[in-house]
Amino acid sequence: MSYTITCPICGKRDLYEFRFGNEERGPAPDHEGLTPRSYSEAVQMHKAVGGPQKEWWYHRDGCGVWFTIWRDTLTGRETDESGEIS
Amino acid sequence: MLPKNYIDIFCFIVLENPLVLICILPSTKEEDSPMKLERLWGASPFRSSYDAVMIGGGIHGLATAYFLAKEHNMRNVAVIERKYVGFGGSGRNTAIVRANQRSQGNVRLYDEGLKLWATLIRDLDFNMMFYNCGNLNTFHSEGALGAARLAVSTAQLSGVKSELLDRKQCKELIPVLNIEDNIKYPILGGMYHPPGGIVRHDAVAWGLAKGAARYGVHIHQNTEVTGIDVENGKIAGIRTDRGTIKSPRVLICAGGWGALLAQMAGIELPLHPLTIQAMVTQPLKPVLHHVISSGAYHVYANQTLKGEIATGAHMDPWPNYTTNTTPHYFKHQAEALVELLPFLRGVKFMRHWAGIADMTPDMAPILHGNDPIEGLYLDVGWGYFGFKSGPITGKYMAQYIADAKRPEILKPFSLRRFEEFRHTGETAGAFSYGPWN
Repeated sequence: MSYTITCPICGKRDLYEFRFGNEERGPAPDHEGLTPRSYSEAVQMHKAVGGPQKEWWYHRDGCGVWFTIWRDTLTGRETDESGEIS
Repeated sequence: MLPKNYIDIFCFIVLENPLVLICILPSTKEEDSPMKLERLWGASPFRSSYDAVMIGGGIHGLATAYFLAKEHNMRNVAVIERKYVGFGGSGRNTAIVRANQRSQGNVRLYDEGLKLWATLIRDLDFNMMFYNCGNLNTFHSEGALGAARLAVSTAQLSGVKSELLDRKQCKELIPVLNIEDNIKYPILGGMYHPPGGIVRHDAVAWGLAKGAARYGVHIHQNTEVTGIDVENGKIAGIRTDRGTIKSPRVLICAGGWGALLAQMAGIELPLHPLTIQAMVTQPLKPVLHHVISSGAYHVYANQTLKGEIATGAHMDPWPNYTTNTTPHYFKHQAEALVELLPFLRGVKFMRHWAGIADMTPDMAPILHGNDPIEGLYLDVGWGYFGFKSGPITGKYMAQYIADAKRPEILKPFSLRRFEEFRHTGETAGAFSYGPWN
């Protein structure tokens, strides 16, 4: 089988054209009051959701845009926000 | 009239002389039957409480249960498996064993693991087909030569046999290797590790299950864990689709699914679950007598005792809990293999499959317990190294669980190393190993 996701500029393309840019974890933490532990939680820990998650992608072998999509990690298929296959 | 064929001859004799029939038919008494097959382990009653529960019926969980029962006299132990014994990474890896990692803490554990196979095979009375044919890791750049020098130094300091070969020596070791300059990444040399090799992975899972069951361990297959109960910072037990189990000690050793189970206990881990694909060719005459691997080509291959060339690819570069295979890697493997081993041109792939590797940022496992939840132990984050280290980790995790104290050899693998930014140094570059590397 082959996987695809939808680039906002190029449309639906083979997933191997893209670089995964991590799950969406919100904005980077404030430098004020930052501890090694909270920094580690921001940069190293993962929710590693089993199911639909919002994640970042970069169209490496295409237009070079960064964007977010929803994807189900239990099926590998792109979904919408509710987890339905879009 | 005389009978025309053998069936007629048989019927003729039987009809003529019914006494013959008694001699021909096998005895109906079970103990006399030469065809009687014994199960390696039987079904066990599902108890509502155990002294310790392993979540995951793979090599790590079975080995931990086996050593808990054998060496620490804890016999009231259960192994809970969602599918069947060896369904996950235990039966999906490419069966390669070696101890030539980069950091000393890792090499120490893997080296003990390598030495354990022989005693384990004897103790379990189960042939795991350990074939210590040696591993050759080729390098194709000056940078990789530097990394190989570090790994060889670490191995030699730790008393593990490992040496650098130039490319002519690589060719002498593996005559079918292509050392010419006519390929994408010409071979500069290699790191040769004689004590490594391959072990039949299914046999390891089955042998350990048989051994554990012999000591009274209950193996519950087709049992899915649906929750982990924690009370006042202590583990209380687990919930499954067959009922609740109370237990003061729970080990998460579910391979690629470890992060999902840790979430049930409210623990976030630095893990990326990545699908990793493997495949075998049609069987060939014996031709490749060593494990060969190449970082630049992202390929590793060995010839199994059945003659197939088993080869593994790099991980899919995004997280997934699926075991799907993709044409991308058939093409990738074929391209890489025919450059390194040109005799494989035209040979067909016969089967393909995938497993899940749970990668940590520093490519070393997380072996951790009693923190932040008393009685909850983690044996996760093995990535694609979980097979070679399975039995030895089980031995030390059993000691960890029995004594509630981390054995010295497991000290480098604490979960807290990540927030202290004291990574193991297993990766050659930055510590942020992930799908993008």
